[in-house]
Amino acid sequence: MGILETTAGKVLSSYSVFLFLTVLAQAAARRFSTSVFLFSLQSAIIAIQVAVIGYHEKLVEAFVVALLIVLLKVVGIPYAFFRLIEKLQAPRDVQTSTSAAESVFIAVGIICLSYAAVRSYASGVQAPEDGLAASVALILTGAFLMVSRKKALMQMIGLLVLENGIFLAALTTTFGMPLVIEIGIFFDVLMGLLLMGLFVFRIRDTFDHMDVSKLRKLRG
Amino acid sequence: MILLWPLGIAILGAGVLFCLANPKAATRVALVLGAAEAVVLVDIAWQVYHHGVLTFGNYLRADGLTSFFLINLALTTGLVLIYASGYMHEASEDRFFSPRWFYALVFLFLFTMLGVCLSSNLGLLWIMMEGTTLASALLVGFYNTEGAVEAGWKYLVVCTVGIAFALFGTIVLYLAAVRAGISPATALDWASLTDAVSHVVLDPHLVKLAFVFVIVGYGTKIGFVPMHSWLPDAHAEAPAPISALLSAVLLNCALYALLRYDAIVSRVVGPAFAHRLLLIFGVLSIVVAGLLILMQRDLKRLLAYSSIEHLGIAAIGIGLGGPLGLYGALLHTFNHSMAKSLLFFGAGNVRHNCGTVRMDRLGGLARVLPQTTGILALGGLAIVGLPPFSLFISEFAILSEAFSQSRYLVSALFLVTLSIVFGGFLHHFLGIICGEPKHAPAAARLSPSEWIVGGVAVACLLLLGIHIPHLFNTMLQQAVAVAR
Repeated sequence: MGILETTAGKVLSSYSVFLFLTVLAQAAARRFSTSVFLFSLQSAIIAIQVAVIGYHEKLVEAFVVALLIVLLKVVGIPYAFFRLIEKLQAPRDVQTSTSAAESVFIAVGIICLSYAAVRSYASGVQAPEDGLAASVALILTGAFLMVSRKKALMQMIGLLVLENGIFLAALTTTFGMPLVIEIGIFFDVLMGLLLMGLFVFRIRDTFDHMDVSKLRKLRG
Repeated sequence: MILLWPLGIAILGAGVLFCLANPKAATRVALVLGAAEAVVLVDIAWQVYHHGVLTFGNYLRADGLTSFFLINLALTTGLVLIYASGYMHEASEDRFFSPRWFYALVFLFLFTMLGVCLSSNLGLLWIMMEGTTLASALLVGFYNTEGAVEAGWKYLVVCTVGIAFALFGTIVLYLAAVRAGISPATALDWASLTDAVSHVVLDPHLVKLAFVFVIVGYGTKIGFVPMHSWLPDAHAEAPAPISALLSAVLLNCALYALLRYDAIVSRVVGPAFAHRLLLIFGVLSIVVAGLLILMQRDLKRLLAYSSIEHLGIAAIGIGLGGPLGLYGALLHTFNHSMAKSLLFFGAGNVRHNCGTVRMDRLGGLARVLPQTTGILALGGLAIVGLPPFSLFISEFAILSEAFSQSRYLVSALFLVTLSIVFGGFLHHFLGIICGEPKHAPAAARLSPSEWIVGGVAVACLLLLGIHIPHLFNTMLQQAVAVAR
């Protein structure tokens, strides 16, 4: 067994641990830039995973998808976020409604919950239980970030983490969807982020802040 | 090949309209493109009617169900474009608010909704459904007021998250299909999937899991309670033609997506599972929306909650199934489109002339705006389901199906809600139509374009309410045959 195969095996078996670490760190992150960096790291782990699967299964498509992830989620979107932070000149802390300690506890709870949720399905679909649990954990963490963070920008990060989770679920259970569909989904996510970025500017210009928890005009 | 035409016209039209700086020219070009679009869509429906299923490549397909929704889409969009030609006259020349932005985005929105109806692949359907959110978010926030920006942001975030759940459901269904030995290339193709499930066994647990995620995901776009929070805001803050498009076309498109999944899931695990979920969401939606209608203060929010109620009624019809349930549900989506666009056009006129749609600031509209009041009154009578308007027929069909299946709880809740909604609409509409005028009498008479849209919508409601033409009935039957 060559060194490449051994490395690939190790990466395949331990990537979910790294993903859980990013989930915990994401929950504890106090600064917006940390959060963006963690998202980038998370996407990098997933991209490596895709490439490893591509190497194992001899799939060219997988390498295309891995390249797309690196370009978009590891480099492109985080770069755009940093530019956005500069342009908005907003305070750089994330303003949570839960403290860091509470958030980490909730993240631990989410990880336990994910294992409990996938237990009955993992054996049925012959998918690695850790990978499936990691994807559910990412989805739940994304949703948690969206409801607990007040800044519009953090809601975008939450959405991206959630989307990463769904992507990982597709990857671990079926080695991904057909390439055309995959590219279409990437495109949609990109357009969605662009639009949200546009709306963030509009929110700042019309309300003079970006705290979406204060958007309370429309009720009932 | 003909299936490419509507998509091509819409996307190229969006590009052309975006380049037209002159508002008058943009309006005219939009009307011409809309007419061309309508002709092509009617042609597709005609061919499907006579020759059965049309396909193009691996990703586009039109059958009876598609063509029924396409006819609805073509008619409503035509009305919206005609109405908008008068409505957008007073739009300013500002960068984002000019008619060219408006029309370009409308055609982009149209492109994605056509994509939803025409795609044969469930993955492509998801992409297009997410596209509808993206294309319409800017239209919801079009006025750029505090309320509009908030509504746009909420719409974008809530629907994107909701749709993400539908993607998860789609992936789970794909997983079930691939595990059962269907080749990955056709595992998301609706037609081959519905064929395959008769001789391949899909894991029923996974299929059920998929449907739960899909009904939550696409249910967010339909506006099922409790995922409806975006809907009243978006409908109330968007310009009136867009409110009509959202309510009368977009919600139907989401329901169409759900029907496609329902057909697969019912074939795999039997209809009971999917239909029970639809009944639960449907009943919850009509009851909650019916109660909230009573306490509305804003005319457009009132209409938005009424949309939640009517889509709930359609969901109940689908959930009941049987000979009349699905028939009534599909007919109801069409009737609702006509009545609701009429009402939103009326509300748009009120906002134009009185500057507000807050019902406590409106009064005596019968004297201030007599002709617009006519539109609102006719629309109001139609939407609460009074004969001779066609919503009576579809609601009656669904109700009689519920009774014939001895579902007395559903029937009782349905009837109680209808009476509450009737009372609510009567109370609100009498409040704004009668009484002392709170505005100076305006000389605003209906423009010719408004006469056309009002006339067509009322004619459709009356025609289908008195006698359903043979052609329309056969199309409806073909759609029911596909969705069953």
